[in-house]
Formats: sequence, C-alpha cells, structure tokens
Amino acid sequence: MFGKQRKALNVVLSLVLALTLLAACSSNSNSGANTTPTPTTTANGTNAEGNQPTAASGIDTSQRVELQFYMLGNAPKDLPKVEEQINEWLIEDLNATVKFNYTTWTDWDQKYRLLLSTGQDVDLIFTAEWTQYQQYAKSGAFLPLDELLSVAAPKLYEFVPADMWEAVKIDGSIYTVPATYKEYVTGGFVWREDLRVKYDLPKPVDIPTFEAYLEGIKQNEPSIQPLALGGAVDATLEDSYMEFQRQRVGALPYGLHASYHDPANLVGYWGSDEHLADLKVYKNWADKGYFSKNELNETDSNQDKLINGTAAAMLADNPTRFNNTLNQMKSLHPEWDLAYHPFGLTNGYATPVHPIHNGFAIPKNSKKAERALAFYELMVTDERYNLLTQYGFEGVNYTVEDGYYKMVGDNSTNGFAREAMNGWAWRNPDYMLFEPSYDGVEAIFKELDKVQVPDIYTGFAEDYSSYQAERAALEQVEKQYLFPLMAGLVEDVEGGLKTFMEKANQAGLEKIQESYKQQWLQYLQENGIY
Amino acid sequence: MVKKKGVLYELNKNKILFLMLLPTLLYFLINNYLPMIGIYYAFVQFDFHSSNLFQMAFVGLKNFEFLWKSGKLVQLTINTIGYNIAFIVLVNVLSISVAVLLSEIRGKWFKKVTQSILFLPYFVSFVILSVIVFNLFNYEQGVLNTMLEKLGSEPINLYAMPKAWIFLIIVFYLWKNFGYSMVIYLASITGISDEYYEAAKIDGANIFQRAWHITLPMLKNTFVILLLFALGGIMKGQFDLFYQMVGNNGLLFSTTDILDTYVYRSLRVTFDMGMATAAGVYQSVFGFILIMTVNGIIRKINKDYALF
Repeated sequence: MFGKQRKALNVVLSLVLALTLLAACSSNSNSGANTTPTPTTTANGTNAEGNQPTAASGIDTSQRVELQFYMLGNAPKDLPKVEEQINEWLIEDLNATVKFNYTTWTDWDQKYRLLLSTGQDVDLIFTAEWTQYQQYAKSGAFLPLDELLSVAAPKLYEFVPADMWEAVKIDGSIYTVPATYKEYVTGGFVWREDLRVKYDLPKPVDIPTFEAYLEGIKQNEPSIQPLALGGAVDATLEDSYMEFQRQRVGALPYGLHASYHDPANLVGYWGSDEHLADLKVYKNWADKGYFSKNELNETDSNQDKLINGTAAAMLADNPTRFNNTLNQMKSLHPEWDLAYHPFGLTNGYATPVHPIHNGFAIPKNSKKAERALAFYELMVTDERYNLLTQYGFEGVNYTVEDGYYKMVGDNSTNGFAREAMNGWAWRNPDYMLFEPSYDGVEAIFKELDKVQVPDIYTGFAEDYSSYQAERAALEQVEKQYLFPLMAGLVEDVEGGLKTFMEKANQAGLEKIQESYKQQWLQYLQENGIY
Repeated sequence: MVKKKGVLYELNKNKILFLMLLPTLLYFLINNYLPMIGIYYAFVQFDFHSSNLFQMAFVGLKNFEFLWKSGKLVQLTINTIGYNIAFIVLVNVLSISVAVLLSEIRGKWFKKVTQSILFLPYFVSFVILSVIVFNLFNYEQGVLNTMLEKLGSEPINLYAMPKAWIFLIIVFYLWKNFGYSMVIYLASITGISDEYYEAAKIDGANIFQRAWHITLPMLKNTFVILLLFALGGIMKGQFDLFYQMVGNNGLLFSTTDILDTYVYRSLRVTFDMGMATAAGVYQSVFGFILIMTVNGIIRKINKDYALF
C-alpha cells in the first residue's frame, strides 16, 4: 500500500520536473534565439571555383566569407528576399555573403552589450550616442578604422566629409562610419491644432503659452488628457524642459547643468533653487490635472496617445517623429490636425544632428573587417544596394511618383515599409526618397538652418569606470525619489527634494559630479570650445 | 552490512545503468556546471582589451559594492524573502484546501470546469496582467475609481499607496499560480488508495475526519518536496510579476522592490558584466545556504522526506 502511494508520488514528481524542464527550455530558446544566432561561418570550404570578384578596392577577396551584420529593432517581413538579392550581387562584387541580424527592441541594450562583450561573430554593428558609442569606443570595443578606410573603402572615405570623420573621432581615432544625411533631432512643442483653433487658444511658443493651451484643453475637453508624458519623465519632462527653458547644452546626466552659451560653467542642478522652481512647475501641472496621477505606470507611448486622441500635447518631440505621428493620425482621423513649434525658433539657435547620432562600427574581434567595410561602402555609395536596403523592391514594395516615394499597399500588407531595415546610418542624401508629407519636415529644417550652431555636447566621451558602483546606486535613488517628485506625486516638494538630495549624496553624487566635471572641462579644452 | 567495494567495481557491475545515466550527467555538466566558471566575472574588471576572462584585472569585491552603496541591500533581501515566504505559505495552504475540497466533489463535470478555471490564469502573461491591473486601479479611468465615484465616494490613488501593494501583489500572485500547484496536489490525492477511505467510513469517520486524518498526512511528501523546490528559488523572486505591476513607479519601491528588480534597474544604465554577475552570485549563494539549511532541518526530523 505504501508502495502504491510512493509510486503516485513519483509520477507527480516526474511531472513537475518535466514541466520545469520544459519551462526552462522555452525560456532558453527565447533568449537564445535573439542573442546567439547559429554560427554559419562559410569562411572555409565553399569557395566558388575561379569566381574572381570584381571589386576595385585593394583587398584580398580570394576566400568566400559570410558577414554578420547587426542592427537594432525588428526585421521587416521581406528581409529574406532582400538579403537573397544582396547576396547575389555581393558574391559577384566581393565574394562574400551577408546575414542581416536584428535584435528586436526588447532589452536591446543588454543584447547589444552581450554582442560586443562575449566575443561573438559580429562584423558590422550600429552605433549612436544613445547606444553609448563614445564609451564603447573609448573602452576599446571597436576597431580603429583610420587606416582601413583608405584601403578597403576609398570611395566611402571620400564620400563622408572630412569634418564628419573628425567629429566622430574618439581619442584621435575613427571608430564608426557616420551618416551624412543632415537632420535635426532637437525638440519642439507638439499640439492638436484643430482643438487649438476650435477653442481659440494661443499658439504654444514658450512655457506660458503652452500652459495656456493645456489649461484651455483641460477646461473644454475634460475627457482628453492635456499633456502626455509617459513613465520616462526624466526624458519627456526634465530633459525637454531643460532643453527649452534653461537651454542646456545636451542631456547632461547626474543632475548637472551647463547652458549652451556657457558650457564651461558646469554646475549641480539637482537641489538648486532652479531645480526646486522647476519641480514646482511640474507639480503645478500635475495638480491642475494636465497629466495623469499615474503617469509613471503608463505604458502607451505618447505618440500613440496623440494619435488615438487620448492626449492633446507633448512637451517635446523631434521634427521627423512629429511628422510620423501626424501621418498616422491623419490616416485614422483625417479631420484632426497636429502642429509643431521647434524650440530653436524661440531660443534662436538649433543644433543639427551630430555625426555620432547614426553610424556603423566594426567590433574589435571581427575577423573580416576589410570585407565588412567594403560591403558597407557598397551599402552607402552603390545605388542598387542603397535603394534596395532602404525601400525594398521597386514596383513590389514601393513606386516613385513625381520624385516622391509611394508605398505599395499599406503598413500591414507591405513587407518592407520605407526604411524598414532601420537604415538610418546608411542613408545617402543623393539617393533618398521622401513621402510628400516630408516637405513639412523639410520646411522646419530650412527654418532651423537659419539659426544653426554646432552640437558641442555629443562628441564628449564619458569614462565612468571609476564611479561605476556610485552610478548604478544613483540610478536607483533617482527612480525612487526624483521620479515621483517630477511626476507631481509628492505633496511637499521642498521636503521631497531634500530627501532625494540626501539619498543621492549617500549614493555618491558628489564624487560622480566632480569626476564628470573634470572630464567635461578637459574635453572642452582639447576641442577648443572653452 | 555489505562489504564496501571500490568505485570501479560498482561501475563495472552496473555499467549499462551508468551508461543510461550518462546523457543526463552530461546535460547537467554542460548546462549547469561548466557555466559556473563565469562566476569569476564577479571578481574582475571587465574590459574589451583582454581576450579572455582570466587576463582581466582582479578587483576583489568591488563589483558587489553597488548592492550596498544605496543602503538598500537589507531591505531588498527582506522584501524578497518576505514575499516569497508569503507566496509559498499561502499558495500551499490555499491549493491544499481547494484540492481536498475538489477531490471530495463527485460531480465530474463541475470538478473539471472548476479545475480548468482555476488553472487558466497560470497561462496569462505578466505583461497582460500589468495591463489588467492598470485598468483596474488607475486614478482617472480605472474600474475601481469609476465605481467609487458612482457610489459617491472619493476616488483613491492606489499607485501612491505603497502598503496596499504588499496585499495586491500577493493576491495577483495567488490568482495566477495557485491553480498550478492545486493540480499537483489533486493528482497526488488521486493516488491515495480508496481502501483507506472505505475502512475509515466503516469505522464511522465523517468527511472532515477523513480529510484531516487520511488525505492531509498522505500529502505531506508532496508538500515537503514542493516546499524545497520553492525555497531553492526564494532569492530569485518573481521578477516579471513585480516589474510589470510596479514598473517605474518609485513611490512604491519601499514595499515592492526585490533584488531582481533592483539589479535590473541598476544594470539597465550600466550593463557591466562584473556587476551583473556579482548580483547573480549574491542571490545564488544566499539561495544555496537557505536550501541547505532547510534540507538539513528536514533531514533531522525525517530522513525520508529530505531532498538529498
């Protein structure tokens, strides 16, 4: 009898074990699929017999190789077809094939780090200031390209202007190939123009007019949330507000502030009177109900909330993204309208995008660096490669009408939308195709061109190795004590700020700020900005 | 006592059996033991210039610093263990009682339906759970506040009440998970021989006495083993649950932050191999000590019930 029970127990146990094993398997395959692609090196073996490549550059192409190309985001549906076509050309041109890998947007930052630090087979990878290009380059994750460029990609070396090569240099070496397309990614107010006209509200050009607009929406449209912020209030509220109101030189971290006009004067902003005043502004907005009491837990994107009409303004967005939002809104609600006022027009200056903003680098342990660079040259400078990887197949995915790009079908039926490969970095202004609505963006750019000044912040490469632990600890304190303050959830703003400063100092804020300041001043001096 | 023979003799005697064991051993060796070399990452300064792990500079415990720098390590450990103990105790109490009740129900159709309904939430993803929770409790349009307003009372902002979330997180965890362990208990009740119950009935035991004196003691084995399994993961917390339900809302961190969410947030900005490994090592060592202790205690009480 006891044996019988024992047996039943065994069955149950093996069931449990099997289930946990299954669970483990599935989670493994999830993460595995994204981070570790099967190594399909065809470096040795399948060398085509006597198929001599026609590449002009002076590199050795006698061995067939497969290049591993990594980009962030989601792969378009038609990528395999595009890849097939590219490979057909590439075998002829460079005796190589390429595999386009995409990380998806889920945990891309961890995946990015793992790709670089685990010695995986990666030959080309996207870089930007928001993927910490400067820090990675400084710590030696990428291959210096200075000498390689003239050998493997002479055309590309010519194509990118010298001052851009200069601008992406970290410690005197080039580590990435910058994009040459000039755009602005600076902020500007976004609001519902149809509602503004309907209720005769002022056009938001500064904070008082913006507040008046929000108030008008609150009064007249009680079901619409006047301002969309989302959970990342550090970026959507503080950074934007600082960019506009205090003309901060860039999104400086650790509560530091320096104005664009006086960059050497780097001071602690957190805990200052200015900070307190700004927090009171946010609190005031929250109290008046301009944004939700649960903004920190919001998961919908701000743009989506504008599109579906649950919110009526954003404090800041860049011109291109504003245009996307407008287009998507128009396709759903043709009678609605969205308008934009770039901060630059009020403040009298605007910085065009820094060359670091979009680029491609070759990781240090790539064994096919020459071929990778030569391939990247083709992507940028060869019209066939460029058009195919930016817009898909002409006639199938898009058509050109009066010089404008026109998508075949719509987003759901078309397997390759415009720039679906996230090809921001290999955009070539000579070949670029735009939708008619881009004219609006271009008009904004033209206006900003009149007040343009160089970006002096993005070229700075912070080295945080000496305060890594403090940095991580500070991040926690910021989330726990500063975020609720910014979202207007703390009744006593002054007391809340005091608590935050206490905790921040405990985590090592002063040490971080001091070290950062030292590096910053040194950077300004070396680059002749100071 | 049999005379002790050498390992080689044992291997030779049961070579077929050992051969059958080999794939499993290899599986664990490759997937669970070899990666442990990576623990060394916790003690070095990661850099791109060294081609392998052992060339990197040894920094001792520096990578562990961030865990206590913000002064939250104790609170995090308490939160993590506290929640898990609540989960383990409540899930077991609830699932055992419901399993006993269900086993007494003879209506096959009703039993199956109930079982399925209780089991289904287990398949709801945490992301969806977070959306459900947000729609229930958000201040402006949440179900709860809409109801309160209709009833004429003041709306409440749950997302600003840290204490409430201790309760909410436990409730949603139970909702999602207790069906799963209930099915396991139900299966093990099915395995209890009917003879016991018949004998008890003849002796005049009522339904409660039967449950108390037969079913419960018979479930002890399953309970102990499920308990040990659960304890092994006590330091791991339930990352998805906490992260999805609380998200970036710093106001709630004092009561809802566990080690996993803390580490995740720290390393999102500074994804450093050394620090990430250090956090993992801390959790593993703590979990190891815990399971050894509990297993030891169980061994002392009753050797048969111990896991090893």
